[in-house]
Amino acid sequence: MSLYYPFHKEATTLGEIIMGLLLILLSLLIYTHSDDLPSMNESQLDAGSFPQIIAILLGILSLLLVLTKTIKLIKERQAQDESPKSIKKALIDLYQEHKLVLLILSVLFIYIVLVQVIGFIISSIAFMIVTALIIGPKTKKDIILISSIAVILTVGLYMFFQEILKVRFPTGLFF
Amino acid sequence: MFDLLYLGFGEIFRFDILLIIFVGVIFGVIAGLIPGFTVAMAIVLTLPLTFGMDPVTGIAAMIGVFVGGMSGGLISAALLGIPGTPSSVATTFDAYPMAKNGKPGKALSIGIWASFLSSIISLFILVTIAPQISQLALKFGPWEMFALICLALTIIASVTGESILKGLIAGLFGLLISTIGADPIMGFARFTFDLNVLRAGIPFLVVLIGMFAISRLMTSLERTERQKSFEEKQKENATEVSFVLKPIQTLKTVLRKPGTLVGSSVIGSIIGAIPGAGGSIANIIAYDQAKKWSKDPKKFGTGCEEGVVASEAGNNSTVGGDLIPTVALGIPGSAVTAVLLSALMVHGITPGPLLIVDEPGIVGGIFVAFFIASFGMLITQFIGMRYFVKVTQVPTHLLVPIILVLCVIGAFVLNNRVTDLYILFAMGVIGYLFTKFKFALAPVIIGVILGPIVEVNLRRALMTNPDWTLFLTRPISVTFLVLTVISILFTVWQTRRSNQRLKA
Repeated sequence: MSLYYPFHKEATTLGEIIMGLLLILLSLLIYTHSDDLPSMNESQLDAGSFPQIIAILLGILSLLLVLTKTIKLIKERQAQDESPKSIKKALIDLYQEHKLVLLILSVLFIYIVLVQVIGFIISSIAFMIVTALIIGPKTKKDIILISSIAVILTVGLYMFFQEILKVRFPTGLFF
Repeated sequence: MFDLLYLGFGEIFRFDILLIIFVGVIFGVIAGLIPGFTVAMAIVLTLPLTFGMDPVTGIAAMIGVFVGGMSGGLISAALLGIPGTPSSVATTFDAYPMAKNGKPGKALSIGIWASFLSSIISLFILVTIAPQISQLALKFGPWEMFALICLALTIIASVTGESILKGLIAGLFGLLISTIGADPIMGFARFTFDLNVLRAGIPFLVVLIGMFAISRLMTSLERTERQKSFEEKQKENATEVSFVLKPIQTLKTVLRKPGTLVGSSVIGSIIGAIPGAGGSIANIIAYDQAKKWSKDPKKFGTGCEEGVVASEAGNNSTVGGDLIPTVALGIPGSAVTAVLLSALMVHGITPGPLLIVDEPGIVGGIFVAFFIASFGMLITQFIGMRYFVKVTQVPTHLLVPIILVLCVIGAFVLNNRVTDLYILFAMGVIGYLFTKFKFALAPVIIGVILGPIVEVNLRRALMTNPDWTLFLTRPISVTFLVLTVISILFTVWQTRRSNQRLKA
């Protein structure tokens, strides 16, 4: 982490502020939607009241977080004597750090979509092979190893759940 | 108390259940020793496999994984100086030096015995205390239950994560997630935003799998994490250890330190019983206390026996402690016990103070399964150690895809809904962001599982009597609420003080 130290620290604080703002947004959303819920009786708490209470608390605490972190960010900026490293370089660094995470998350999302389209077995096997090759080495030996693991595991789990637990997996459009 | 155990023995002593516990223990040990694969992950992934079993068998399997997992971290901690799970950080302080001094077998054997004996001690504490607490809790009305859950949530928020503010935010976020879907009293659909995905609510287990498994895997894919694990692998390849385990001899060594053993086990059990605090905290505190009480604190850290005993007794005894509030009150203290409770719910059993009265067989089964699992752990560790050592070498690029597929299957099997997979994905991303910005995940999980209970109790209290001051006039309820406020104020004060100390 020391590679891009000043920016990283700032980026974390900035991220915390953004998280806080998102949470405030969520609280507002829930709070306003709670009003539309049917209410039965004036004297009791109705369906919307509990979420409303929680939303208010969450909103206040998130606001507190945003405020404290903004003050921290301003202080950090002032404390920095030297001019910040080139932002572009820092962003590239940040991207490098999280490249694999983004990649694998996208593959995971595609996999989830594909489960419905081409069925569980094919998509799972393909997903495992693709992910392993993105993360790890791409030698012939590795491809054979991960392919066999993928096939055995997928078919094994499929049989187990289908036969013993009577779970029906999505088969996709082709079957 | 004895009739519970008697019932439990009747439930558990079947060949298939005993076998399942053993398999669970082995799986747990393996999960515990692979760095990056946590006990919580292992339990979460075990749950779908137990759907076809009857409740007692399923719970027994998961307890096996739990007990095994707590002791699994010992192996990589002792031999490589790398904690396989966060619960074995302090184990590296003395077990690793001892192994480096040419006594790896001794370090491992002492650790195994300490884990085993402390589990038994914590089981004893569990069996004596849990029924008493639930007896007391049976007298609780909705006011007291509401106040108690408020207290539990603030304690979780204050012991986990970076700051209590973030902990509380995480807990409230969990509560908010739990309000999506049908309202627990009238059944109105809430906050579905016209999305079909959300109509049935957000299933607790999907949140759990997303937050604890997927987000953890994503963290392990970050560049710095991968470099770290690469360096660890190098270290592993460099150390080819051969060792001889001496079960009988080391048992005597451990028994010659009764103070350290019992003391650390009691500390572990108490910490385990506090919601949110678990093995990772107990491991360090027990070690620290043993050092403070020792006549010769200087030898700690150089490979001394007490250090290994204290750290391993500390983390394994949290299992028993963790089960106390789970069984007696229906309030899980950790992600692991939260899964246990949700497993009960899947089988239509409602956890809570009534559990011991309504389902004595299940509760007895939990106790006895814990007992058997401890023996299973002892035996598998001593016999299987040689093979377990090799498993630490599973590379990340195989582990990540396999576990991701298991997560997807687990989330699907729960309700047979493909739409749940999108929720799983979203929760994985949210969980990753939470960890990235140092919000603790445990409060979210406990918030999600306790959300409906806290709402039902609050509304029931006001339905019974619209006077809300009852929360402040009923003695037990007001005690819990005062403790809630104190726990927040105390944590805030504590952070202030340590911040000032840092500056000074």
